[in-house]
Amino acid sequence: MRSPFAYKPQRGPLQDASPGAAVAYLGAIVVVAFLYLNPLVLLAAGAAATMAGILAGARAAVRSALKMALSLALLIAVVNALVTSRGETVVARLGEWPLFGRVDITLEAIVAGISYGLLAAATIVAFAVYSACVDPDRVLRALRPLAGRSALTATLVSRLVPVAAADAGRLRDAAALRGPAAAPVGKAPLARRLLAGSLDRAVDVAATLELRGYSLDAPRARNRRSHSRYDRRFYAVAALVLATAIAGKILGADDFQSYPTVAIGFGPATLAVTAIVTLSGLAPFRRAMKRRPLPSRRPEVARV
Amino acid sequence: MSELAIRRGAAPALAVRGLDYSYPRASKPALVDVSLEIAPGEFVLLAGRSASGKSTLLKAACGLVPHFHGGEIEGEARVADLDALEAGPGELAAAVGYLAQDPETQVVSTTVAAEIELPLEMRGDAPTDRARAVEEVALALAIPHLLDRAVDTLSGGELQRVALAASLVTRPRLILLDEPTSQLDPVAGDELIWLLRRLNEEWGVAVLLAEHRLERCLAAADRVVAMEGGAVGFYGPPRDFLRWSNDSDAALTTPAARLFSLAGLESLPVGVRDARQTLRGTGVGHPPHIASRRVPHPCSSEPVLEAKNLWVELDRGEEMRDVLRGIDLEVRPGERIALMGRNGAGKSTLLRTAAGLLEAVAGKLSLDSIALLTQNPSDYLVRERVGDELPGGEGMAALRVVGLEHAIGADPRDLSGGERQRLALAIALAGRMEGEQLPAVVALDEPTRGMDRARKDDLVALIRGLAEDVDLLSHSERKATRPAAVVVATHDVEFASAFAERVVLLGEGVVIADGPMEEILSGGWYFATEVARVLDRPGVVTPEQGAAVLRGELE
Repeated sequence: MRSPFAYKPQRGPLQDASPGAAVAYLGAIVVVAFLYLNPLVLLAAGAAATMAGILAGARAAVRSALKMALSLALLIAVVNALVTSRGETVVARLGEWPLFGRVDITLEAIVAGISYGLLAAATIVAFAVYSACVDPDRVLRALRPLAGRSALTATLVSRLVPVAAADAGRLRDAAALRGPAAAPVGKAPLARRLLAGSLDRAVDVAATLELRGYSLDAPRARNRRSHSRYDRRFYAVAALVLATAIAGKILGADDFQSYPTVAIGFGPATLAVTAIVTLSGLAPFRRAMKRRPLPSRRPEVARV
Repeated sequence: MSELAIRRGAAPALAVRGLDYSYPRASKPALVDVSLEIAPGEFVLLAGRSASGKSTLLKAACGLVPHFHGGEIEGEARVADLDALEAGPGELAAAVGYLAQDPETQVVSTTVAAEIELPLEMRGDAPTDRARAVEEVALALAIPHLLDRAVDTLSGGELQRVALAASLVTRPRLILLDEPTSQLDPVAGDELIWLLRRLNEEWGVAVLLAEHRLERCLAAADRVVAMEGGAVGFYGPPRDFLRWSNDSDAALTTPAARLFSLAGLESLPVGVRDARQTLRGTGVGHPPHIASRRVPHPCSSEPVLEAKNLWVELDRGEEMRDVLRGIDLEVRPGERIALMGRNGAGKSTLLRTAAGLLEAVAGKLSLDSIALLTQNPSDYLVRERVGDELPGGEGMAALRVVGLEHAIGADPRDLSGGERQRLALAIALAGRMEGEQLPAVVALDEPTRGMDRARKDDLVALIRGLAEDVDLLSHSERKATRPAAVVVATHDVEFASAFAERVVLLGEGVVIADGPMEEILSGGWYFATEVARVLDRPGVVTPEQGAAVLRGELE
């Protein structure tokens, strides 16, 4: 079964853009998430990443990332509420817990947890969109002239991951098919076996890289499709988002306080940053091809 | 091969002289005094038993030995005038392409186009040249529709072609292939061989092809190299090779050659066409079709496996797909069934569903008990002592069934390939037996991958032992009250003819033929044995059956 996060070759502005442009665009959304704690802006960053993924045709990746991200966000919110007793608005007193001591659930801890959770969620969705839409071969190709050894390692790893996943699936099946009287196989022996097999696989993949001429010191050829007509758009949106985020930060758009009482700013600067970040999610939008109406064909009348 | 295609006078595509090689820490050499020469545009078949040095010779020709694997090497190896012992695999890549057995580790990029383009990019070719070369090689291998696909959505056969395209894109003078058809069905295997033949004739690429199923490719070869214990045992034309193998190593001969040898015909045929021409010369014609022998069910007992309108859905990369579409099947005790069909026809899915690894989305499946051995027996072996894999009395009983009780203290890694397979089967059987009673169904999924004929013969004996309830070591009958039904998914038609009494042919998830082995394997072209294709007589599939027919007609 193929991972929903695996790169799927298809045409679209985000897929056609050069790796630098795509990374700048999605990276700008992640930077916003890391710069701000205001849940409104974080929601905007998450929404932008989600929209970008949907418009780029990576619905499956976005869906899976959202499931994972929201679960993680919930977990962070719950754990933060349990371990932090700061805040003035107590919503539940859970008494003494082993290890935790006295547990008071406060509204402020919940909101702070939600804020951290949203940061994690926006980052996860942005990375999922990157993984599903940006061709790793093009990224590695761009990386090769800059850092050859890193590119080699990354190529080896990026191929070994699906191979190891397939091997792990086979080993799990074999473990499930063992007779009830055969020695049971725990996770440790399976992991050991997978590791031993992975080393052999790595040797095979490395041999293939050798045969493809990876070790050659040949002049690196110019790359085809190094630029696309969408690059400017993504670089411009990335620059706009970053400039807005930095300016907003300076102007106090990240007006958020979780302790001792919750205070979320909804000022014009915050709303402006929220709006611009949200709209940046439309960057991968592609206009539908306009179909010109065919000229009506009237049967020609034969002139006598 | 026409003499025109073999460019005599040019530097040899491969010239090896007195080559000795030992892997690091190996107790004996892998290659011993190997000398051979392949002319440009020649098609050479590399034959030999398992571990005879075929793969090592191929690796030496592409520079992986010694540059990648290390070890000690002496002698001379030149590829298109490049010293293979001096130049590394990367430098040799322009002159030689290499395709190994496992296609999964033969690709390193995410998309097909990038994979094919990579060697050219590494060489520093201009983008326009790369684009044209990729397009041309894709057209030559009939894969232009795959160029934009992600490699992890391809089937094994498609992946094999993509790896071949990446090897050929630099227009090498020599292509080396290590059992490239071992994972392919008969149709895809034949297609690959004819594709190589076409590349050889039209592009003038010299081919060195290592293969166990010689009947597939002997007719396409100009010469044959047979390896024996790391040395060249024979090097010459295919017809001479058949005479040599008939006298020296019968495991290397083809079914058609065995047919002729058993029938007392002197001129051994290199392929189906050759055999038919020879037979026409002897006056053996094609008699009217006679009804084949129907093999009745071995007993009228209740089926031990029954599938009714079975549907199974799987995620095939891009979308969910019905892999089994309403299968109806009954298996009775003691039956030996070959489950055949193209790659993706649903053979493995049927076995995996029966073993409980997959769930059916519709239909009914009932069975008593099943032990399934999947394609890679090594996946079952996780401990360092046979006895630790199979503790207790039930473990010992399973070892006894496969004839391995003597190996209880051995390390599984020290066992031979055949013994490892039997140990894996014992692990699957352990605890599913009641005393001497085997599970109702013993299933094996593609058990002959990469096996030579001698090992296949051992496997046939094991399968017969399981189905006929005979002890492997003593050949005495066991005390079981019911023999096991043995179901084997296989692409190997000759192997199926050796063990099966019934063949179930799947196509796109449905049963398209189900009947006695002799009837199914003599009634088609791809899913037919070489003897059946030579004689075209219903019910005649093995060399022994064919020889009996020929002897009768020649008298």
